[in-house]
Amino acid sequence: MNDAVPAPALAEHAFLRGMPADDVARLARAAVAVRLPAGHRLFDEGTPAKKCWLVTSGHVALDLNMPGRANLIIETLGRGDVLGFSWLSPPHQWQFGAEAVESTEAFELDGATVMALCDSHPELGYQLALRFLAAAVRRLQATRIRLLDLYAAPSQSAEAR
Amino acid sequence: MSLQAVPARYRVASRAAETCDTVTLVLEPVDEPIAPHRPGQFAMLYAFGSGEVPISISGEPGGPGLVYTIRSVGAVTRALCEADPGELIGVRGPYGTDWGVADAAGQDVIVVAGGIGLAPLRPALLAALAARSRYRRVTVLIGTRTPDDLVFAGELDAWREQGADVRVTVDRAAVGWRGHVGVVTQLIDRVNVDPAATLALVCGPEVMMRLTARSLLARGVSSGSVRISLERNMRCGIAECGHCQLGPLLLCRDGPVISYQRAAPLLSVKEL
Amino acid sequence: MDGPTWADGPLLMEAAALAPLLDALRRSGYRVIGPTVSDGAIILGELGSAEDLPFGWGVSLEPGGYRIRRRDDSAAFGHSAGPQSWKQFLHPPREKVWSARRTAGGFEVEDAAEPAPRLAFLGVRPCDLRAIEIQDQVLGRGQHAGSRYAARRAGVFIVAVNCTEPGATCFCASMGTGPQAGPGYDLALTEMVTGDAHRFLIDVGSAAGADVLASVPTRPADAATGEGARSAVAAAADRMGRSMPADILHDLMAGSHGAVRWDDVASRCLTCGNCTMACPTCFCTTVEDVTDLSGDHAERWQLWDSCFDPDFSHLHAGPVRSSSRSRYRQWLTHKLGTWHDQFGSSGCVGCGRCIVWCPVGIDLTEEVAALQAEARQTAQAPPDETPQAETGSEPS
Repeated sequence: MNDAVPAPALAEHAFLRGMPADDVARLARAAVAVRLPAGHRLFDEGTPAKKCWLVTSGHVALDLNMPGRANLIIETLGRGDVLGFSWLSPPHQWQFGAEAVESTEAFELDGATVMALCDSHPELGYQLALRFLAAAVRRLQATRIRLLDLYAAPSQSAEAR
Repeated sequence: MSLQAVPARYRVASRAAETCDTVTLVLEPVDEPIAPHRPGQFAMLYAFGSGEVPISISGEPGGPGLVYTIRSVGAVTRALCEADPGELIGVRGPYGTDWGVADAAGQDVIVVAGGIGLAPLRPALLAALAARSRYRRVTVLIGTRTPDDLVFAGELDAWREQGADVRVTVDRAAVGWRGHVGVVTQLIDRVNVDPAATLALVCGPEVMMRLTARSLLARGVSSGSVRISLERNMRCGIAECGHCQLGPLLLCRDGPVISYQRAAPLLSVKEL
Repeated sequence: MDGPTWADGPLLMEAAALAPLLDALRRSGYRVIGPTVSDGAIILGELGSAEDLPFGWGVSLEPGGYRIRRRDDSAAFGHSAGPQSWKQFLHPPREKVWSARRTAGGFEVEDAAEPAPRLAFLGVRPCDLRAIEIQDQVLGRGQHAGSRYAARRAGVFIVAVNCTEPGATCFCASMGTGPQAGPGYDLALTEMVTGDAHRFLIDVGSAAGADVLASVPTRPADAATGEGARSAVAAAADRMGRSMPADILHDLMAGSHGAVRWDDVASRCLTCGNCTMACPTCFCTTVEDVTDLSGDHAERWQLWDSCFDPDFSHLHAGPVRSSSRSRYRQWLTHKLGTWHDQFGSSGCVGCGRCIVWCPVGIDLTEEVAALQAEARQTAQAPPDETPQAETGSEPS
């Protein structure tokens, strides 16, 4: 069941912290509140990317389908996270799949509506761009840390002589 | 109060494999038992002819036997991990500072563990759960390499039943893993934190502890309320060989548990 | 002087009384260790008789240079900064800690403690006396009161020798450790050689000291001689060739981690560790577990170690202190700075051995002066102009 999102509720999400109230109000026009049951697939790899989600509770898994390793989870997101970057730029195609692992609530933002709002209100676009960049950087930094394989035994790690 | 000169002998009562390279030994005294460990303290464990290594206590304080969880990474730890029940191991200790979880009475306790770092934290967690009503929320965040590398995997549900919010994340998932995937600091972002009334206990690789401390500080927890367990080369364990120095600290005596407030300026100096 | 006294004032003995002094010590069960000439150096060894003392020998000292030379007089203690210190006797370079043997049920462990020999140290300079006290704090007190070090130390008889002639590399005065011996001696001598007269002023520091003197020809010192000896020692304090700003060293070291000067000294330092071997307070050790061929008998040995050794700080994949910059910095900031935090005093007594015995002549008093100058410059400079050390600066 999808509900319109009042601007104050949207403003509470960590992703939008500090965004001017006017911009939040505009963004609310593109948002609906969704509840995704456990097991619900939000999108599959290769399909058109047209939305993003601001997760408010529960947890979503990003996965990849590989021969012999069906739906291997590569990252999980939860409360406070933004899900979905691929809608922002060509080819507008999901690079991974996403599934709600448990019952999950989120604000779903329609990509086309958000872009139209940003075209007519560049300040909104600027605010969103900074936040998407910050989220991507945090994700990148976390990924770099995972690549360090910090928990590996000396013989397992790349540093082994 | 003088130090024991030679190791006290203990017999391996049981050996359980936690992961492919980590075992938990339960030891019973043959000689006069050593003083009881406090959570966070360590002992120098001796494998005959091989040498000694510092290992933190990983079992319930006051429980039957001495419990140590050891990862096989070198000659001495390999010998210890291969010790069969009935074999003798030497123990000198307990040494060092403890987690001091009782300081969090009336407050939230957040335990953040990276890899084998869960082992030194387990006694503090068990102590908190044994006196559960003394604390407000007890949260346990565990980061591990893969699902197969999770230590004490069989106990997590018991901890949940005793009132801990336990979350596990892996760096790399295996097929069939339906839990969190990502670094443990990402879990911190998703829990409720009351910065004014929280004690955080953090143990794992040093990089993981630095990043975790930063994430906690970003949530408003003060650096004096974050405690980490540091590691440096240790030879004697009794503050007379000079190896475990980190600036002004001798980690066998002033650590291994140190507040992040004290540790942060030292950890920021390269090659200190 | 407050506290118990064992004589009504200083005593006087002729140089010839050194022989009965050694005899008295040996009759009391001591093995006498003192300076003696050997292999072109004045080393510390067991003295067979008073004649083994280095009468008439002195030393020429400079950074990275040590030569013995003939003195104009016959002074027995007219030298300093030999390659060894008394720590080799109290804190031996190699000692067995315990041994273990396999048994049917597992293994048995035996403490290796041997009865401590009774040693008399003859000729302990005030700097070295303070160094012994510093090592006592690290290795022999508090929780270490039952250690092998404490057992060896308890039996030691100390004959200190005050300094009237600083060595070229000495700086005990600025470190507050000399040229007058502080408390801790059983006897303290001040050597006076003028023309043919060769005598020693004696201060008695303990009941044991008084007992040993009972069979040594001494007489009460007259006021003039006593005064003369005291002023000669006091005057030595003004003739030091070097000095250190002792009261600011702890804070200077604590603030200097990012200093550019460390790169400079690193370009000269060979990380050979000579300084740590020669230094009378350096105490670091490592342990070696060895078995015999049958594998049934194991021993744990404790050996001197040096923070300059790359393995000293080994952790997981490699050393924490890998660069020579970081290892020299560790040595100096520990010796002059964090030693205070760990043990309540400076680790440096101003004996100058590290300067003499460094093969490339690194002089820590010069390094400290340079660090001090750099700290002043950094404090005055606007933030952007702070020089950055090669291996990266600390976050501000």
